[in-house]
Amino acid sequence: MTKDKKQKNSHLYWNPYFGGFLLGILILFTFYMTGRGLGASGAMKSSVVTIVDTVTHSHAEANEYYSKFLDDNESPMNNWLVFETLGVLIGAFISGGLSNRISWRVQHSPKITSKRRLAFALGGGLLFGLGAQIARGCTSGAALSGMAVLSTGGFITMIAIFGTAFLVAYFFRKNWI
Amino acid sequence: MGPLIPNGVIPYEWSNIIAILIGIAFGFILEASGFSSSRKLAGVFYGYDFAVLKVFFTAALVALIGLLYMDYLGYLDMGSMYVHPTYLWGAIVGGAIMGVGFVAGGFCPGTSLCAVAIGKIDALVYVVGIMIGVFIFSELYVLFQPLYEGAFEGNITLMDSFGINRYWFVFIFTIIAIVIFKLSDMIRKRNKKIFY
Amino acid sequence: MVNRKLVKVLTFRYTILALILIVLAGGLVLLPKYTKHEGINPEELLSNAISPERYISTDALADKIVNQDPSNILIDIREEIEFTKYSLPNAINIPLKNLLDEDSIPYLNQNQFNVVLFSNDNFYADQAWILCNRLGYKNIRVLKGGLNLWFTTIINPLKPDQNESAEEFTLYSTRKAASMFFGVKYPEQVKVDAPVIKKKAPKKVFTIEKKKKAPAEGGC
Repeated sequence: MTKDKKQKNSHLYWNPYFGGFLLGILILFTFYMTGRGLGASGAMKSSVVTIVDTVTHSHAEANEYYSKFLDDNESPMNNWLVFETLGVLIGAFISGGLSNRISWRVQHSPKITSKRRLAFALGGGLLFGLGAQIARGCTSGAALSGMAVLSTGGFITMIAIFGTAFLVAYFFRKNWI
Repeated sequence: MGPLIPNGVIPYEWSNIIAILIGIAFGFILEASGFSSSRKLAGVFYGYDFAVLKVFFTAALVALIGLLYMDYLGYLDMGSMYVHPTYLWGAIVGGAIMGVGFVAGGFCPGTSLCAVAIGKIDALVYVVGIMIGVFIFSELYVLFQPLYEGAFEGNITLMDSFGINRYWFVFIFTIIAIVIFKLSDMIRKRNKKIFY
Repeated sequence: MVNRKLVKVLTFRYTILALILIVLAGGLVLLPKYTKHEGINPEELLSNAISPERYISTDALADKIVNQDPSNILIDIREEIEFTKYSLPNAINIPLKNLLDEDSIPYLNQNQFNVVLFSNDNFYADQAWILCNRLGYKNIRVLKGGLNLWFTTIINPLKPDQNESAEEFTLYSTRKAASMFFGVKYPEQVKVDAPVIKKKAPKKVFTIEKKKKAPAEGGC
């Protein structure tokens, strides 16, 4: 860690080990409280189900996947993960606000246009959403929380995500470096 | 004895409030660790920033060791934890698709939400992308169903699959993680620095 | 001076942190292992043990059998030979040594019936009771005094003396009536047919599947 680096980059964010330690404690606390881990994509699934349900109720009822999350008495938004996600938005906003990081912008490598960045973001999001449904969870829900309880599925998902990402990273290098 | 909410120590009505509080902490930690920046996240794949790797593995280790100690001391019952179910092919294929999405988009769902909160437009587009992905999956569910439900192994842990002692596993895992941390520092020093 | 030392320590901070992590993880390996007991905790077991609910008296049981109360399962925990010689009507035989067998679990681990354990006296039944409680089974009771007391009170009740209280006489007459139900003939009633006890098929026990905790929905 050179001094140069320290001055330009590191002061922006927490030391990763410190962040990791706190995140670990938070996962521990979450397990102690609720018996399960954190999650993020579940709220997006709930949102999609809600949107589809409000637009065409009959279609949502007929679809085998939506109907799993539909309940006549309860809105799919009344879900632990949705509240947690609301909290994530609030928490990130507080943290960003404290260190003056809030601004409307598109972050991208200087070598690409923001249009290209947005197109890749959409495509990446689409793939991630698809993958998260197939694997029943994303990096936080399946991989991180799964690893904390030594779930085999969690470890496989983690290895699959990072392994593939390293394999294909070469083809996307222009976007980032 | 934990977990508190399923065991009724804390009334169920509190669960949503606790969810918001946990979410706030989660969002704060992710944002403060720099996970709201896609270029920082992607750095792990190009060797210029290993924050993701470090945060991720440190968190998993701390949680794992902490859970085992709490289980040992009787504050928590490891057996009543929710164990992520193992659908072998679903996990592999889903993980692989997520991996491509990760490199292409530069976020994962949790971090994209953090980035949305601080006004990153690319993250907003990413979240819309995730929703479209979920939508596609649901519409073509019949197509994905064999993959989604195939090769179900139950809610198993590594102990069940490989029959290894979990304490030894954690010990070895810790050492591997520390070696990885050390290696990642060495790789980063060799690489060209990128500022973002 | 202190500052310089501090700086020196801080240059090793990651090594120190790594060592702490390794020591903590190694601690898990080295911790003495013990098997966690499953089932109820000792305090609960004690409170069950001193509860009056634990025993059922011979009179109460006789009353229930006469009234054909369907909520009871009688379990004879003596050996099979003894069971075939004599037992209570409709009793099921689960010798103590077979108590933990797979086949006996449905009879013991259920919530619908009151299980009454009995042997010749309290002794073996009490041990079976403790085992069942330890496993967390509900509604298990022991016949107070076992079959020995059953004989002296119900089958062959002692006629009270002239100068004893009226309650004793009522008790005696109910006991006598009960014993007639169980097939004992008294000289003054020889002509009256003792009620024929129909051999009922052993009660069918519907076991309740233990409710599994509703699986929490996936993390994300």
